[in-house]
Amino acid sequence: MPENKNESVKWDAQLRKGTLELAVLAAIHKRAMYGLEMLNYFHLFDTMQITEGTLYPLLDRLKRERLLAASWQQEGEQRPRKYYSLTKEGHQKLNELKARWLRSVEDLQQLLNSPTIEEGHHYE
Amino acid sequence: MSERKQIRNYLNNLSRYLSPLQDIEAQEVVKEIESHIYDVIDDVEVKGGVADVEAILDRFGPPRELAQQYIGHIQQGTPPPEGFKAISIVKKGLSRTVYLGLMCFGYFIGIACIALGFANLLLPGSIGIWSEANGNTVVIGMLDNPVLVQETVGVVQGLWLSPVALILGYLILLMTHKVLKFVRQFSIGQHYV
Repeated sequence: MPENKNESVKWDAQLRKGTLELAVLAAIHKRAMYGLEMLNYFHLFDTMQITEGTLYPLLDRLKRERLLAASWQQEGEQRPRKYYSLTKEGHQKLNELKARWLRSVEDLQQLLNSPTIEEGHHYE
Repeated sequence: MSERKQIRNYLNNLSRYLSPLQDIEAQEVVKEIESHIYDVIDDVEVKGGVADVEAILDRFGPPRELAQQYIGHIQQGTPPPEGFKAISIVKKGLSRTVYLGLMCFGYFIGIACIALGFANLLLPGSIGIWSEANGNTVVIGMLDNPVLVQETVGVVQGLWLSPVALILGYLILLMTHKVLKFVRQFSIGQHYV
C-alpha cells in the first residue's frame, strides 16, 4: 500500500507540473492571497499537497511574467505579508488555461470512455 | 542551535545564493520567506504546539536549490563554470565599493595628469618630475621655487612634460572609462540578460 501511495504522489507531482500555474491563477482570481494562505488553501485538496519550495519560486515567476501583482500589506500587529493578485494579463491567462484544461479533461474522459478500452482491444 | 539561529542561518545562506539578483529583489524574497516561517511557527504555537523548524525549512528545500529557482531566469540555461558562482557572490559585496573607488581613483589621476600638463604650459620650469637619491625619491608636481631643488635631478622637465602628461592623463581616463564600462556591463548582464 505505501508503494501505491508513493506512486500516486509521484503521479500527482507529474500532473501538477503543468497545472499548478492554473491552480495559482484560479486560487487568487477573486481576492488577493499571501503565500502561506495560498499554501494552506491548496492543502485542503488531496492532489494539491505542494511545498513552500515549489510555491514561492512559482509565484516569483508568475510575477515576473506580469500575470500576478504583489504588494506588501500589514494588518494591525501582524507581520507584513506579501499579497498576490491577478493582473489583467493574469485574468486573460487564467481564461486561456482554463479553456485548455477543460478541453483536455474532456478529451481524456472520452479516451477513458472509449469503447475500445472497454472491449479490451489493443492497438499495435 | 537555537531555532532562531537556525532560521537566521538558512536565510543568510539563501541570501548569499541569491546574490545574482539585485539587492532589493533578493531582500524581498528573503523577507517573504522569513515572514512565512514565523507565521507558521505562530500558527502552531497559538494552537499550543511546538513548531518543528527543521521540517518547515525542509519544505523550502536547501537554500541553494531554492535560490536556483529564483535566479534561473538570469543564468539562461548554460550553467556558469564552477568558480563563477563564487565570483558573483564576491562581486556582490565588492562591486559597489570597487566601482566607486576605481571611478574616483582613475578619474582623479587622469584629470590630475591633464591639469599638470596644462599647468606646465602656463608655468614652465616650476613643474616637473624630479628624482633624488638615485631614484629612491621621485617627486611629480609643481614647486614654487624650483631653485630649491636644483640639487636634485630633474628627470622630465620643461615644455615637453606637457604632451607626456596630457597623453598619460588621456590614457588613464580612457582606461578607467573602459574598465568601468566593462564592470557595468558585467553586473547589468547578470540582472537583465
